[in-house]
Amino acid sequence: MESLIAFMLALLLAPLFPGIINRTKAFVAGKQGPPLLMKYYTLAKLCRKGSVYSTSSSFVFKMGPTVSFTASLMPLLFIPLAGTAPVFSFHGDVIVLFYIMGIGRFFTIVAALDTASPFEGMGAAREAFFSTLAEATIFAVLILFYRISGSLSLADYFHGENAVSLAGPTGALLLFVIVAMFMVLLTENSRVPVDDPQTHLELTMIHEVMILDHSGPDLALIELGAFFKLLFYSAFITHLLQPLVPVGLLVNGLLFYGVLTLVYVAVGVTESTMARFKMNLVPKYILTSFTLVFFAAILTMGFMQ
Amino acid sequence: MDTLFYALAVILAGGILPLLLYRHFKVMKASAVIATVIGSLLGLMALLPALQDTGPPTTTWAWQQFLTLTFSLDSLSVFFLIPIFLICPLAALYGFHYMDKSEEAWRIAVNYCCLSLLIVSMVLVVCADSLMTFALAWELMSLTSYFLVVHEFHKKETRAAGYLYFVFAQAGAMCIFAAFGLIYSATGSFAFEDLDQLSSQLKLAVFILVLLGCGSKAGIFPLHIWLPHAHPAAPSHISAVMSGVMIKMGIYGIFRFYMLLGDTSLLPGQVILAVGMASGVLGVVYALGKHDLKRLLAYHSVENIGIILIGAGLGMIGVATGNATMAIFGFAGSLLHVLNHSIFKSLLFMGAGAVLQKTRTRHVDELGGLMKRMPTTGRTFLVGSISISGLPPFNGFISEFLIYFAAFQGLTLPGLSFLFASLAIISLAVIGGLAAACFTKVVGIVFLGEPRSAGAGRASEVQASMTVPMLLLSLLCLVIGIFPAPFVQLAFFGLRDMALIGAIEPGTGQVLIGNLAFAARLFLAILLGVTLLRRTLYAGKEIASGPTWGCGFTQPNVRMQYTGTSYAMSIVEFFQPFVRIRTVYSGIRKIFPGHTTYETRVDDIAEIGMHRYLLQPLVKILERLRWIQHGHIQLYIGYIVLTIVVLLLVF
Repeated sequence: MESLIAFMLALLLAPLFPGIINRTKAFVAGKQGPPLLMKYYTLAKLCRKGSVYSTSSSFVFKMGPTVSFTASLMPLLFIPLAGTAPVFSFHGDVIVLFYIMGIGRFFTIVAALDTASPFEGMGAAREAFFSTLAEATIFAVLILFYRISGSLSLADYFHGENAVSLAGPTGALLLFVIVAMFMVLLTENSRVPVDDPQTHLELTMIHEVMILDHSGPDLALIELGAFFKLLFYSAFITHLLQPLVPVGLLVNGLLFYGVLTLVYVAVGVTESTMARFKMNLVPKYILTSFTLVFFAAILTMGFMQ
Repeated sequence: MDTLFYALAVILAGGILPLLLYRHFKVMKASAVIATVIGSLLGLMALLPALQDTGPPTTTWAWQQFLTLTFSLDSLSVFFLIPIFLICPLAALYGFHYMDKSEEAWRIAVNYCCLSLLIVSMVLVVCADSLMTFALAWELMSLTSYFLVVHEFHKKETRAAGYLYFVFAQAGAMCIFAAFGLIYSATGSFAFEDLDQLSSQLKLAVFILVLLGCGSKAGIFPLHIWLPHAHPAAPSHISAVMSGVMIKMGIYGIFRFYMLLGDTSLLPGQVILAVGMASGVLGVVYALGKHDLKRLLAYHSVENIGIILIGAGLGMIGVATGNATMAIFGFAGSLLHVLNHSIFKSLLFMGAGAVLQKTRTRHVDELGGLMKRMPTTGRTFLVGSISISGLPPFNGFISEFLIYFAAFQGLTLPGLSFLFASLAIISLAVIGGLAAACFTKVVGIVFLGEPRSAGAGRASEVQASMTVPMLLLSLLCLVIGIFPAPFVQLAFFGLRDMALIGAIEPGTGQVLIGNLAFAARLFLAILLGVTLLRRTLYAGKEIASGPTWGCGFTQPNVRMQYTGTSYAMSIVEFFQPFVRIRTVYSGIRKIFPGHTTYETRVDDIAEIGMHRYLLQPLVKILERLRWIQHGHIQLYIGYIVLTIVVLLLVF
């Protein structure tokens, strides 16, 4: 029961956090910035509108938003939120979840190619390439976590015995993982330095350009899906930073959302202080995260026989 | 076993009838198709009692006329017979409307005859129980498939592709015969049972030779060179049979000889795993670089053979280190991927054949917008693409998950095996991502967007005999994805007679597979819910349509769309040392606009390597002996006389 309440709460709070990122960026720039609830107003506005569809597109274009929203919603059912157990959990669910996110990405890309627009094709090509490299990092993280905890389930990683946390015996290796997962978060969620969510130039976009031709409720579904995906990755990093304290549910929940807010603030600070990379340096950036985690996994050979 | 031979007899009749009836075009094709379908159904019925059987195999059948041929049907054979009897009738049905040129009736009759001979020879390979039988059936398989590949022999590239395939098939057969020679010299008999009495060095030598021979048929890197030439050259339903079923006979050979040799050292597993990883990653990278629809599907076959060998390698390492779960899941994932790949690869080749028949072009950058013009082909091709990328809720994910599970078990092993297991996991992840990239390219550029050439604009949907097999196969992909338990049990059944793995308990993996099914159904349930939500959000809203925004350009043109070449270029360039990109650019030399050309080509390093390091030195050496062929018939007769004299004197 608590799992379902925590899940619903997370769904409701998901659009709040990108507002925190924008507020942080405005603060660093010395501006006031948009209100915290801006994304809720955006979603409401989009749901009130109709849509324009391109004459070149087919049913695949209309399937794109629904499949990508489903693929972003499902991982939230499996990750522990606010100190409670997740709604569902089974041995091997991590692999299933990352492949579900893969089918979401597949449909976003084909929906983009459906519009017969060269910009969307460009964004789709970049997205396909960078996310393949990010998959290598993610699976290296799964290898390391399997060595530490002996299981393949998100609930077991963060709440089981042999939980993966900084306070555990292999805590030092997790520093690599935190840095690497932060880099993957920036890649997968189209943040600076991989992609600038506020650029106006279609030739430089990755995610924004793939959704250029979507409008109305379709765009609302896509935006909400993007918020859920960002929440998933941030929750992953939050669990690495915050161990499970054996106090009441409410304290754990507040602690979880507190550290989550800090993660979002860190994203905002990164966006404000870094410039976006040249496109050909992004693979090196992603492979750096892979190397860090693979190194950590090799280190386990030394002291975990 | 008798029912199986009746089935083969019916299929053979389906091959002979076209030769007799070729003057009546439709009757000939119908007779071939009906006979093949009935024969395959009989074959599947023959397997049913073997599936219920719980004990070791007891059926053998010997034919002792002038050659002793023995056949037997154990669980591994039963499993490999399933793709044969499933895919071949659908391919024959597909061929009914695909081969629609009545002026070529004799050639089409020969094609159907060779197809039935190929089916029969593949069944005999799988049932073979002695070295002689295996060799005979293997050679028959290679020869019949050669004739199928050169169906359109008036085209030069088809003849070249057929010749290349023939050379590789015979070189592979030579390796297999060398292995058999070693076995015969050590044991003195042709029976399969005595193979585990060889010494361990001999076992390793035999294993490597069998890997080279059966591997060249399967298409492992670097022996895959014939695949991307032969599959585009063959007619599409033949490509479906070859890619879906025939290359699996190579995998069958590797599994069978591994089982018979009983070598439990780590080395075979590590070699197979390394070869599998190389084939998997390089196969998909070359597929990204190619823009001929059937050639890129052929390279994807190389990639999936790589995935099958990764599973097999992990299973072998599990057997060697005594890790039963790793062994069971590695081999089971490998076997299930054999079945899954035969289903979705045949589906994709049939779709490519439909596109080729209607648009007359295979080049991806000349197609586009076919989803609206060929709706059934487009939808089934989309299902096939999602399955081959290994994405849930379709069948590719189930077998890849089993292989991942085995690899994760391997992470607890010490030393080198840990590194191999982690490399296996990372290469599977990269392969999955690259396969998704390649198939988004194919689906997006071929079926979506706007037609890039007149041929693509004129396309229309193909006939029912071609869409029905595609619909059946795509339905099967979805069914295996949502209800994986019976198919995983089938894979476990296939492993029953592999003595090295040991007995598999009845409840193995039940919870795991149940959870996978749950996840797939949950995904579909949430998808249904979201679709309903979207429908309510759109109730009463205004929906308009308009042309795609072209950045303010007043005269947009379909050529402005993204091309497949550009889509794949950044990924292909990333893998540069393994992929040679040859660019021919004439450059801009004049001040005013003139004629310029630009051409890029992605070259396969295995082909370049074979050409530069094997063929060219060999040809150079053999040129020195050119003086023997001088053309004087008198001296040729002199050679014959000399040889006879030497033979009489010495022997």
